Amino acid sequence: MLRRLLIFFGVALLVQCTYIATHAQNIYAYRLESSDTEKPLAVVLEQIERKTQARFFFLNDWIQSIFVPSHYQNQTIAEALTSLFQGTELKYILMDHYTIVVVKDPANLLLHKEAREKVIDKNKPITQRYFGDKQNPVNAGIVEISGIVFDAKTDEPMPFASIQVSDPKYNTTTDDRGHFTLKIKQGVYLLTFSFVDFESQVLDIAVYGNGNLDVKLEKAALVLDEVVIQGQSSQDNTSSRIGKIELTMKEMKRAPTFLGEADLVKQVQLLPGVTTAGEAATGFNVRGGSVDQNLILYDGMPVYNSSHAFGFLTAFNSEAIREVAFYKGGIPAEYGGRISSVLDIQSKEGDYQKWGGKAGIGMITGNLMINGPIIKDKTAVIASLRSTYSDWLVNSIKTDYADLSKSTVFFYDATLKLTHRISDRSKLSLASYSSSDSFRLIGDSTYKWNNFQISASFDHQFSDKLNAELVAGVSSFGYSVNNSDYLTASDLSYRITTTTIKSGFIYQLPSRKLKMGWQVMHYQFEPGKLVPLTPVSSAKRVSLANQYSIENAFYASTDWSPTSKILIDAGLRIPTFFSFGAAQLNLYQSGGPRDITSVVDTLRFGSGEIIKTYVGFEPRLSVRWTVSPSSSVKFGYNRMYQYLHLVTNTTAVTPVDIWQPSGYYFEPQRADQFSIGYFKDIKEKKYSASIETFYKDINNLVDFKDGAQLIMNSHLETDLLQGKGYSYGVETTFTKNMGRFTWSFNYTFSRSFRQVQGSTLKESINKGKEYPSNFDQPHIINFSWKYNLAKRVFFTGNFTYRSGRPITVPLAAFQLENTTVTYYSERNQYRIPEYHRLDFALVIEGNHKRRKIAEATWVFSIYNVYGRQNPYTIFFKNSTNGVPVPYQLSIIGTLFPSISYNIKF
Amino acid sequence: MWDELLIMRALFGMRWILVLFVANSCVERVELDVPPPQSLLVIEGMITTDVPPYTVKVSRGFALDADTVPFNPVEKLTIQLFDDQGNSESFVENTAGEYISSGLIQGQIGHSYHIKVQTPDGKIFESEPDLLKPVGQVTDIKYEYEQRIKQGKYFEEKKDIFNIYVNSNAGLGDDNYVRWRFKGTYMVETYPQYYMRWIPPYTPYKDPWPCSGYRIGEGPIGSGGLLIKFDECACCVCWANHFDQMPQLSDVQLVANNQFNNVKVAEVPITNMTFANKYLVEVEQLSISKSVFEFYKLIRKQKEEASTLFQPPPGVIIGNVKAINNNDLVIGIFGASSISRNHIFIYPEDVPFKLLPPDYNTEPCTRFPFSSTSKPVLWK
Repeated sequence: MLRRLLIFFGVALLVQCTYIATHAQNIYAYRLESSDTEKPLAVVLEQIERKTQARFFFLNDWIQSIFVPSHYQNQTIAEALTSLFQGTELKYILMDHYTIVVVKDPANLLLHKEAREKVIDKNKPITQRYFGDKQNPVNAGIVEISGIVFDAKTDEPMPFASIQVSDPKYNTTTDDRGHFTLKIKQGVYLLTFSFVDFESQVLDIAVYGNGNLDVKLEKAALVLDEVVIQGQSSQDNTSSRIGKIELTMKEMKRAPTFLGEADLVKQVQLLPGVTTAGEAATGFNVRGGSVDQNLILYDGMPVYNSSHAFGFLTAFNSEAIREVAFYKGGIPAEYGGRISSVLDIQSKEGDYQKWGGKAGIGMITGNLMINGPIIKDKTAVIASLRSTYSDWLVNSIKTDYADLSKSTVFFYDATLKLTHRISDRSKLSLASYSSSDSFRLIGDSTYKWNNFQISASFDHQFSDKLNAELVAGVSSFGYSVNNSDYLTASDLSYRITTTTIKSGFIYQLPSRKLKMGWQVMHYQFEPGKLVPLTPVSSAKRVSLANQYSIENAFYASTDWSPTSKILIDAGLRIPTFFSFGAAQLNLYQSGGPRDITSVVDTLRFGSGEIIKTYVGFEPRLSVRWTVSPSSSVKFGYNRMYQYLHLVTNTTAVTPVDIWQPSGYYFEPQRADQFSIGYFKDIKEKKYSASIETFYKDINNLVDFKDGAQLIMNSHLETDLLQGKGYSYGVETTFTKNMGRFTWSFNYTFSRSFRQVQGSTLKESINKGKEYPSNFDQPHIINFSWKYNLAKRVFFTGNFTYRSGRPITVPLAAFQLENTTVTYYSERNQYRIPEYHRLDFALVIEGNHKRRKIAEATWVFSIYNVYGRQNPYTIFFKNSTNGVPVPYQLSIIGTLFPSISYNIKF
Repeated sequence: MWDELLIMRALFGMRWILVLFVANSCVERVELDVPPPQSLLVIEGMITTDVPPYTVKVSRGFALDADTVPFNPVEKLTIQLFDDQGNSESFVENTAGEYISSGLIQGQIGHSYHIKVQTPDGKIFESEPDLLKPVGQVTDIKYEYEQRIKQGKYFEEKKDIFNIYVNSNAGLGDDNYVRWRFKGTYMVETYPQYYMRWIPPYTPYKDPWPCSGYRIGEGPIGSGGLLIKFDECACCVCWANHFDQMPQLSDVQLVANNQFNNVKVAEVPITNMTFANKYLVEVEQLSISKSVFEFYKLIRKQKEEASTLFQPPPGVIIGNVKAINNNDLVIGIFGASSISRNHIFIYPEDVPFKLLPPDYNTEPCTRFPFSSTSKPVLWK
């Protein structure tokens, strides 16, 4: 085609040169006669050629459908052609006074043709669609095609599906509700709708008017080597929002695992900018933020503890998760209440068509998921359960430190979700999640903790432009420590219950989208109850008073493009926080440190009486500047407030940590984060690379005083301090997205510091000097890969390196008045040994045939291939002099193989 | 599908196979890159209203996993004591690392005192001035028997103790920072002259300790020799001490009408040795300043913490001695206190059960922890 056009232009130019010399009259001035109308244009032009010396160059195919009506009589040829070509891709050029060349806008056609040929080469079906009337094109020239992309099986809208247009400047993705809008020039285009692990759909569209286009994508039946797209993050390297990463469950299940359990949080820990305090610490630290600064939402409800078995595993069953979005910068306005990151987990919906399920068994757990229609096409249900079946792992831990053979571990997590389509425009869903743990490591203490949540959500589409969602639910997290020694038998319990109501609206304006909403959360804290369990128990019955608060937030955000290259998403969130009674608070002597010895009075608040109110103002901004189709610069800014503080003086999150709400003594934490990055796709997205840098400033973060007593403390204000913190870093990633061997490498350099400077030395940490935070790990390297050994056999692996994190250690012992005392270093002045680990996995995925009965997957993993003894925790064991000596506990000190088997039916 | 399910069921049945993969976790000593323990300088001293001299002890820290408690003295220091009236005096080194004042200054209520320590190479350490406050009287010392049963590994372990309580006057100050020091004394009698040495495979032979005042003289064959007295025994009768294991500090919540009531200051173990004769309980009540109070509070906290996997780091202990012209690690406390004292005796008759006769011990009595052969003044 291209060659033909070049020849055509070549001929035209040659013709032009010849005619310039010989003719002098202007064909533009020629007016159509009555005989020149009521005929096809081609005939008319030939007639004119014969009458005058004019020459017209055109291809019959292009203009054969154009008819010259009678009212064109007496119009000049220029006027007539302009009018006739309007709304088509045709144009005409006057080469000289007597030569008119009819041309088509070639760029779009070339692109269309090229894209089409590629698809034909791959033997992919192409569906043709026609919008509007070519004869009566809309005048503006620009048309709008909008629609929804659905999962063909579940009929669920698919958020963030990619839409590639033959003219790449129109490329887009569906929004978080699966909607998309294309504003394109009239003409023909090839559209490719794709999503990871779904068969892409190719549509050849001719567009001459606005239209609606709904597309259904089917699960990929056979994974072809060439079209495997590794992950949404790499796919949208240049076009996604800054700081946002979407995690795909499929890839997660192919990664090497510990105990054969696909683990969401472990995968998050491998992302650039994310660190973790310990080997099996389930919490994660994002860009120098502490573990409690991550908002974890499961179907919109907050999750306070995301771990099983003290962090060996994550409390979410990967089989029940539909999608996960992770934000570490430029956080949208609809999220708030935590200052470092958001992990938004959406659970799967049941299949509306037929019953099916999945089952699997790993080293210590088994899991089962069943889903199907209750009323076909109307109501669907999904249920999942995962539970341990054996204690063998902890019992096999050998150490002379303590008798671990009496250890037990038990946990389960379960989900149930019911969805009902009320109409095409409304959907009601009821979701519930529960997890429970029981863990005894040493001694007579059994730690138990559990999460439970239930929520109902109602989605309604008022019109094509207005969508609304209403969610209401309750989530509760609690723990207990049960001491079974009968002379001191006791049960210590803690609970936090959150009641949430959220409403969100999305309004589609012609050029932008408006999002707004209102969220209310009521918190009830039961900060501690100690109950003796036997009549002889020496434990005292103590119960700390409940605490109550309400967090309320309005938000609004919008996105717009001032130019075609710049996309701005700006938002504002206004949270308010109320701490209210009934409560009784100590009032301390002013000027001195808050100490129980300096209480001067007691403040009493009645039930419902407001103790303290905080109002925040949180601007959010995310900007993307598309420098070229393959590169972009992104900028993000967000301010966030956090009203709940996790009070801990251990480094990894243990279930016995306490959430302390802001109130009379504790101000909310506030973080401001700036991030900017450059993102580049190389070789048509075969590779992608990015570099992103950030600076985060945190105010009022909470740290504990030396020797703080946190459990069963009714006056935590005497044991906790508030200070400042900041972190900064550079994150680089390099990914190979296509081919048999795909991999991803990321390196992060970041630092994280804190400073707590009170009015007295006692209210300062390290005399008010700056000190590194618990998770200040300057260098982090992650390398993960996947090698397709065969179509359904993968060799995957990852390597992780992290600098050792800071700790406080005893330096020396000394004798003081007949007792031996330990001299500790200042806070976080030393580091534990660095952490590194290599894991392998061999994944064999079963039968991918479309008409299959069941499909099986085997995952053989080797965790810690070279047997590095990484410290899980550093703890202190008293020497014969009663002096603590640092020891490290490596839970997985050697190479650790595991097998898991999953079937889908 | 059913085939697959059968496979799965089979796998559940074969879970024992999985046990072949043994998890291997371990606990091991972790070596951290920290400065040597000897780099820590420890300064401890006090000025009181008692008659001088006063003592300042200076030593170096020792390794965390040391088997014994060594005293690493720091010698040849120049130590000066200052009051708030411009007076000063020097300490002299009495024994290695132990310095005593020359007696010019005696602690007086309402005045502040501090010390300055200088090493031969010119490093200076200085304490903050500490105000000497008045102290109330220990009006009463009481004791109460308690039988404590602990769940042992295989059976219950019983422990008999006397809890020691004091009632005392809180003194005149507004802030009642008070520390109690406890010293328990009991007499031990041993028989070092009858010491027998076992050297396999020979039969035991008599080997009296030299301090027993006996030696072996010739005797009938097979008797192992005769014991011959050549001097008085210097290690047969001792007075051994118990001290408080952690600082006992006042708690404002226990003050009622300016009176501390029933403050528990110690636990005395009841054994056939501690109550073979009688038991002397001495309690000192010291007025201390807030900073000294905070120092001891942190030490107390540290001693109270049990070592567990999820143990919080106790943190740095801050004394009132600072390095002035150097960055050396130093922990030091020099406080000014008024002291009031009281004592009682507890007799074996007060023990509510029958005690076994004392152990027959052939070691020198000085082997008992914190023991000495000098009879306490209060022992009558």
